[in-house]
Amino acid sequence: MIEAEGLTKRYGKLVAVDHVSFSVQPGEIVGLLGPNGAGKTTTMRMLTGFMPPSEGTARVVGHDIIEDSMAARRAIGYMPERIPIYPDMTVRGYIAFWARLRGIRRPAGHVEAVLKRVDLYDRRDTLIRQLSKGMRQRLGLAQALVHEPEVVILDEPTIGIDPQQVIEVRESVRELGRKHAVLFSTHILTEAEQVCDRVLIINKGHIVAEGDPGELRQQLEPGTQLYVVIGGASADQAAALLSAIPGVISVEVQGEGFNVSTQAGTDIRGAVFAQVSAAGYSLLEIRAVASTLEDIFLNLVSRDSQAEGV
Amino acid sequence: MGTWIVLRRELSQYFTSLFAYVIAFAILLLTGILFNRELTVSMTVRPANPALVPSVLSFMLIFFAPLLTMRLFAEEKREGTLELLLTAPVQESGIVFGKFLGAWSYYTIVLLLTFTYQFILASITPTDIGHAFSAYIGIWLYGGAMLAIGIFFSALTENQIVASFLSMITLLILWLGDQAGLLIANIEVARFVRNLSLQGNFSTSFAAGLVRGEDIAFFAGVIIVMLYVTIHVVESNRWR
Ligand SMILES: Nc1ncnc2c1ncn2[C@@H]1O[C@H](COP(=O)(O)OP(=O)(O)OP(=O)(O)O)[C@@H](O)[C@H]1O
Ligand SMILES: [Mg+2]
Repeated sequence: MIEAEGLTKRYGKLVAVDHVSFSVQPGEIVGLLGPNGAGKTTTMRMLTGFMPPSEGTARVVGHDIIEDSMAARRAIGYMPERIPIYPDMTVRGYIAFWARLRGIRRPAGHVEAVLKRVDLYDRRDTLIRQLSKGMRQRLGLAQALVHEPEVVILDEPTIGIDPQQVIEVRESVRELGRKHAVLFSTHILTEAEQVCDRVLIINKGHIVAEGDPGELRQQLEPGTQLYVVIGGASADQAAALLSAIPGVISVEVQGEGFNVSTQAGTDIRGAVFAQVSAAGYSLLEIRAVASTLEDIFLNLVSRDSQAEGV
Repeated sequence: MGTWIVLRRELSQYFTSLFAYVIAFAILLLTGILFNRELTVSMTVRPANPALVPSVLSFMLIFFAPLLTMRLFAEEKREGTLELLLTAPVQESGIVFGKFLGAWSYYTIVLLLTFTYQFILASITPTDIGHAFSAYIGIWLYGGAMLAIGIFFSALTENQIVASFLSMITLLILWLGDQAGLLIANIEVARFVRNLSLQGNFSTSFAAGLVRGEDIAFFAGVIIVMLYVTIHVVESNRWR
């Protein structure tokens, strides 16, 4: 549905997006994840035809975004980062306007359906200037969906709204994924983890990692972490015992137990159990601590910065 | 297609905006007052000028036209809707034409309302309908040219005040071009400058009951050039 090939955008000397290639399949939700200034918005602006790429191109539903821009634009629903509003229009008038502009001749039915979907139907005759921030956010989503586009591009759809509405928006994004190909950006990692089928991690205009959230974790986890609680030993004794086990990299006190980091691919659980019983202590708890995408992300981003000598 | 959809939105925007009503009201009120005075004069001193309302408008519009156009692009930029417009499957030209025609249509409607004065005049004293008609055609084109200049300045900035201020200054200068003869000694140059001024193509032709091809061409030319430049200014937002 979206195939980007070497998309590049330069602002003067700054390379905001640097030869980015990726694809989004029908029915897939792909998250574009990255810190501020990573190039998420710029990537989306190129895909939606707002600005031409400096280099490279992309196809949206088979239409080249440069050669066949109008057809590509017709296939896209776009929700920009800053929700665009006409303060003096009614909710219904606003949605109908965007529907018409994207080629729907009699938009009334579409408008009604999409407003029901984002739960703004009972506000249909309200002026947009009177809507709350969260309602405007849903309005932004509604205009992106009203013409039933095959590809939906959402730039940080959950920014600046309360947690309850964040959940609602995430749910609507997930629901979208059933019918449309969805590309959405966020800098909130748990969000990407919860919502996406696949994550693209972007930093300084480069895609630094790609995969489904679980896969990414496996690929990139530096090692495994265990949480261990030992009874009957002083903290020093327990720490010494754990550190002596082969494969252990570090041992840190955490609450009443220890966080034990181990080299990737080693399983020390058996050894821990054996050593603890041999020393006459009791093993009260042992469990794996999954590192979150957040750890992976921080890890990647700092690795990337170090590589550039920042 | 895009043009028509944008035009419709702009026009309905005017009809739901209090500000647009205030402008229309102010135009009708001011022309009404001056018309009344003219009527009183016409009873005693001389026959009423059938081109009175258009002549009055030719000056008043310097201040009113920019108020009608300042919003057109400046607001789209400030509210972020321009980004969405530029990703919709329509050409920049369609957007610009739609907005221009929307503003011009609204102006046309207000202009038609001032026709009531002409009817009143015609029912009181015998008037030269042809003269009035030519003045109205003139001021209609004249207004279109002013709106086209206003839309250009609206596209330049996201600040409506700046947009209207710059268009007023420009219109005032173009209007004053009529007085060039008072400042410039060389007759040829003065005539040339006058031919490029708004008044120079109106006051002695349309307002005097003459419909001349060159004046129509002048106003049409201003409209075409300004819209062409505006399309490129709007397009340039893609590069910023
Ligand atoms: N119009 C512009 N002119 C010049 N530089 C720009 C422009 N827009 C973006 N940039 C630069 O390009 C880089 C990428 O910006 P972009 O807006 O794509 O980041 P982002 O990933 O969307 O960040 P955020 O999470 O803050 O929205 C930044 O360094 C930014 O300063
Ligand atoms: Mg952004």
